[in-house]
Amino acid sequence: MSADNDQARDQLIDLAAQFYDQFELGEIPHMSVPTRTKANIEYDEDSNVWVYGDRESTRSANSVRGARKLLKAVYTIEFLAEQLEEDRSSTLRELYYLSESWDNDEAQFNDQDESNSMIEDLEIVSGVTREDFHMRPEESGATIMGPLHLREQTRRGEREIHCQEDVGEGGYQIPNNPDTIEFLDTDADFILAVETGGMRDRLVENGFDDEYNALVVHLKGQPARATRRITKRLHDELELPVTVFTDGDPWSYRIYGSVAYGSIKSAHLSEYLATPEAQYIGIQPADIVEYDLPTDPLSDSDINALESELEDPRFQTDYWEEQIELQLEIEKKSEQQSLASHGLDFVTDTYLPERLDAMGVL
Amino acid sequence: MTSFQSTLGEESGIAEELAENQQSISIAEFFEKNKHMLGFDSGARGLVTAVKEAVDNALDAAEESGILPDIYVEIQEEGDYYRLIVEDNGPGLTKDSLPKVFGKLLYGSRFHVREQNRGQQGIGISAAVLYSQLTSGKPAKITSRTQGSSEAQYFELIVDTDTNEPEISVEETTSWDRPHGTRIELEMEANMRARQQLHDYIKHTAVVNPHARLELREPQEHFKFERATDQLPEETEEIRPHPHGVELGTVLKMLEATDSHSVSGFLQEEFTRVGTKTANSVIDAFRDRHYGREMRWRPPASHESIDIEAAATDATANKGADATDAFAKTIADAVADHDRIAHHELREIVADAADAVETEHGTTFGETVQENALEAVWLALLDGAAVDDGAAIDIDPESRLVTDLYELADEATSTRKDDAVVRAFAERLAGTFADAAAEDVRQRLTRGTLEERVDRAAELTEEYDDVAFGDTARENVVEAIWDVMGTVPDEPPLVRELSDDRDAASDLVDGMRATDIMAPPTRCLSPISADLVEAGLEKEFDADFYASATRDAEVHGGDPFVVEAGIAHGGELDAEGSADVLRFANRVPLVYQRGACATTDVVKSIGWRNYGLDQPGGSGLPKGPTVIMVHVASTNVPFTSESKDAVANVPEIEDEIELAIREAARELKSYLNKRRSMQQRRKKQNVLGTILPEMAQKVAEVTGRDEPDIGDALARIMNNVLVERRVEQNGDGQAVSVTVENNAETNESLEITDIVSAEPTALPDDATVVEMDGEWFLKWEPEVGSDDEATLEYVVPDDASFELDVKGVETEKLTIQQ
Repeated sequence: MSADNDQARDQLIDLAAQFYDQFELGEIPHMSVPTRTKANIEYDEDSNVWVYGDRESTRSANSVRGARKLLKAVYTIEFLAEQLEEDRSSTLRELYYLSESWDNDEAQFNDQDESNSMIEDLEIVSGVTREDFHMRPEESGATIMGPLHLREQTRRGEREIHCQEDVGEGGYQIPNNPDTIEFLDTDADFILAVETGGMRDRLVENGFDDEYNALVVHLKGQPARATRRITKRLHDELELPVTVFTDGDPWSYRIYGSVAYGSIKSAHLSEYLATPEAQYIGIQPADIVEYDLPTDPLSDSDINALESELEDPRFQTDYWEEQIELQLEIEKKSEQQSLASHGLDFVTDTYLPERLDAMGVL
Repeated sequence: MTSFQSTLGEESGIAEELAENQQSISIAEFFEKNKHMLGFDSGARGLVTAVKEAVDNALDAAEESGILPDIYVEIQEEGDYYRLIVEDNGPGLTKDSLPKVFGKLLYGSRFHVREQNRGQQGIGISAAVLYSQLTSGKPAKITSRTQGSSEAQYFELIVDTDTNEPEISVEETTSWDRPHGTRIELEMEANMRARQQLHDYIKHTAVVNPHARLELREPQEHFKFERATDQLPEETEEIRPHPHGVELGTVLKMLEATDSHSVSGFLQEEFTRVGTKTANSVIDAFRDRHYGREMRWRPPASHESIDIEAAATDATANKGADATDAFAKTIADAVADHDRIAHHELREIVADAADAVETEHGTTFGETVQENALEAVWLALLDGAAVDDGAAIDIDPESRLVTDLYELADEATSTRKDDAVVRAFAERLAGTFADAAAEDVRQRLTRGTLEERVDRAAELTEEYDDVAFGDTARENVVEAIWDVMGTVPDEPPLVRELSDDRDAASDLVDGMRATDIMAPPTRCLSPISADLVEAGLEKEFDADFYASATRDAEVHGGDPFVVEAGIAHGGELDAEGSADVLRFANRVPLVYQRGACATTDVVKSIGWRNYGLDQPGGSGLPKGPTVIMVHVASTNVPFTSESKDAVANVPEIEDEIELAIREAARELKSYLNKRRSMQQRRKKQNVLGTILPEMAQKVAEVTGRDEPDIGDALARIMNNVLVERRVEQNGDGQAVSVTVENNAETNESLEITDIVSAEPTALPDDATVVEMDGEWFLKWEPEVGSDDEATLEYVVPDDASFELDVKGVETEKLTIQQ
């Protein structure tokens, strides 16, 4: 068992000891976690990311519900401590199914949301990340393609990989815990994080990574923690500017938001995951007008999402307010692939160079 | 009190009718025609009715003599017939009274009395005798033994159906084991199909007569109902009717029959709760209605040009200057002393002035002179002038009537009303007063007339000034004016005049109703009392919860009444189906015509869900294990029919029934709420009671420590009261402390007994100790506030053992750590 594992385990057991002491003192066992809602995140001036505010929710054994939650917490702590002791790992989904094997019916999770949220609670209260608990998400599958040479610590030994030369067209697969990677060398000038697989493949096929020395990171929709973490490390350690290229709709702005500012559910890890310097390429609502892109009308839920973003503290900047209000005005949205209406090479030959130039990246 | 009272009230009408019928048709024929009204319409019903009448009679007989009733009812099968035997331990009957009581229809000591009694009409038991005679042809067999007599009398009695005269056919002395009492044996055509009703009747009688011992033996079953109390119901007294409860027809009859000449005397003699003061209030109210009030106007203020003195002087001729001046000045001064003045008040002033001046100056001011002065001064006050046949008053915006009425109307209407509008209204209203002066210069009018005038003026104002002058404004103006108007001093008519004058009598009845009069005395009633209602229910129903309520006496139709309600819930009561409604009138169970009874209607109209009972559809009888009991006690319970099965829908009685039931139901609600919250608490305790120890065990496993003590945490979670003992070795003994920690939101009073096997010492003052068989019972009764603690400390020898017993807190709320 490594030193890291020891520390994570101790912190978990401290948490259990806290409950123990509460019992002994005749107190009602409880634990407090920050409220994980939009209303309770605030901008941290020092780190330039969004973190949780002061509002807390208390899980207390005062009610039957609260007591069940704490019982589950203690069972989960026991499981995680054992897992760390044996230096094994499991997925979030496995935890959910595993709870079925616990001897106590009351401790079993009702659904995976509950077990996921339990892990988040424990992360926050113990100050140990999920990765250090050896808990992984089901799949990440996000990839990197570009001029980067790195060394990964795998369970089967060290591997040195060049993310253009040693990989196929699929690119280098980002591991669950990117902190096992050591960056060796890079020729890249910037990072281009892409939302959709189709666009990523287009860029690779057109040789954009090669031509512009770009590290093309595939976000695969809302990016996994590992994807955000490696992006942050690439930015911090190799000083590469980060750009984010998504569809032009409210849901995609949130993808950018979680890369740049951190997500509401993991605001306790913002410092570790968010890259506040990340810049948004597009598709911007302004691009829809400027490049005369094919569009779809905004649905009601799109409009609600845009309005809710106007109230989201993360999007309260002049740039985003202007873009979102413009979109509400034109009532249209466009996908990344809509650029193909000007030809398959339009995105690599015209759109991206123009936008990157305008942003001062190229 | 005249005997006339006996025919008052709605039932008396029927009774009179019955009596008349007897003269034209034979009694048998009459009975045949009316048996449904008397409760003998079928063999099954007839038996129940006969039992009911006999038992009611027996209970009354015993109670009237101050004897705790002991009643035995037996029903025997006798071939095609049934034999009913009812025995009581009453005072027994003499030979003279016996045939009348049992034999003659419509005989009864109670019929003429305004006093609570079970039987009211005197129809019941004699009808049973007649029914038995008509169906079986057998005489009624009666055994009676009066107190102190050594032997009992045995009679056989038949009723001559032609003359309605009872005849004693057999008379002999016999021996009987009861020291006193009456036994009646009736044979009749009957059946036991109404067995359930019969059982109900006896059982329910036991509920409302907890002082009675009852026994029922019928061919199949045998019940005994023992007493729950030795306290006899309070004796009742007869009372006169209450003014709030009599109707016009009754009053007219009373007026005809009374010996009083004056209305005041009539009121005081014939009604309860009326003395001189109340009689005067009633007469004033009568005057207001019958004669109307007189408008009282403001006397002229100093700046006004009206000269009362001059008017009086001018009207007085040939009386000498000094006397005339003195006369006029006295009148003017007296008028000025009044805030407002009415015609009759002015008349008095003038008369007084005449007397005073006559004493001083020796000049006589006769009636004519007084009349002249009165008229002149009055018209001056009204700004009017005399014309040939009365008076004429011209109304202009500056006239005194307008100013006066304007002030009243302005005060009475909302400030939002335009001043000009109110002034125009006042002018129109003054006009109506001026017009009326032509006929009655005294300005005397009833409230109705005043309302008409205000209405007319308001309508004109609405029409011409195009503004709203709504009902509320009109009412307020009427109220304000009526308030300043004065009751007239006219003598009320004499009683003999009133009795011929329906309208005046009606005004008197209205006046009686409008006057505040003390509630009737309740000594004529004998409610069971809330405590005994509960005791009665507890005796006959095995429930978890009992509540009861007795209302204060109220009046309907001149008869006071008291409503009582009781509720039993849970326990062994039948949980299936609707709640049982037990109806009683004057301690008699009502078993038939449930649907026609006001009691049932009221129970159905109550929203029982509010009180925590199940009520499908939100109306109707509640479902579940509940018994609702209602007792109406009155000197005259209004029944829907002569068979006395259902209470009539009289609004006053229904209101009281509802209030009584709601009062008891509120207790039920808080009981059910408490039980529910205790159930939830128990459920929570059960769940947490398993989860928390498991959590504690797991926490101990994970941290590698011993299992933690979770009692305190659990007590706190449950808002429980925690009683905890700590023992410390203290040299050669042990120091014991018992701590009460109240985590609940309310204060708690505990009774703690610590049973110690050795003698405790160093006790605080508020603890006591008693030794019994080598054990020391240490009693301590602390009162502990919410979120507070109390501690008992004492010292015992080393080897002592303890046991805590805690009372005063529900088990669900209590955690004891020994």
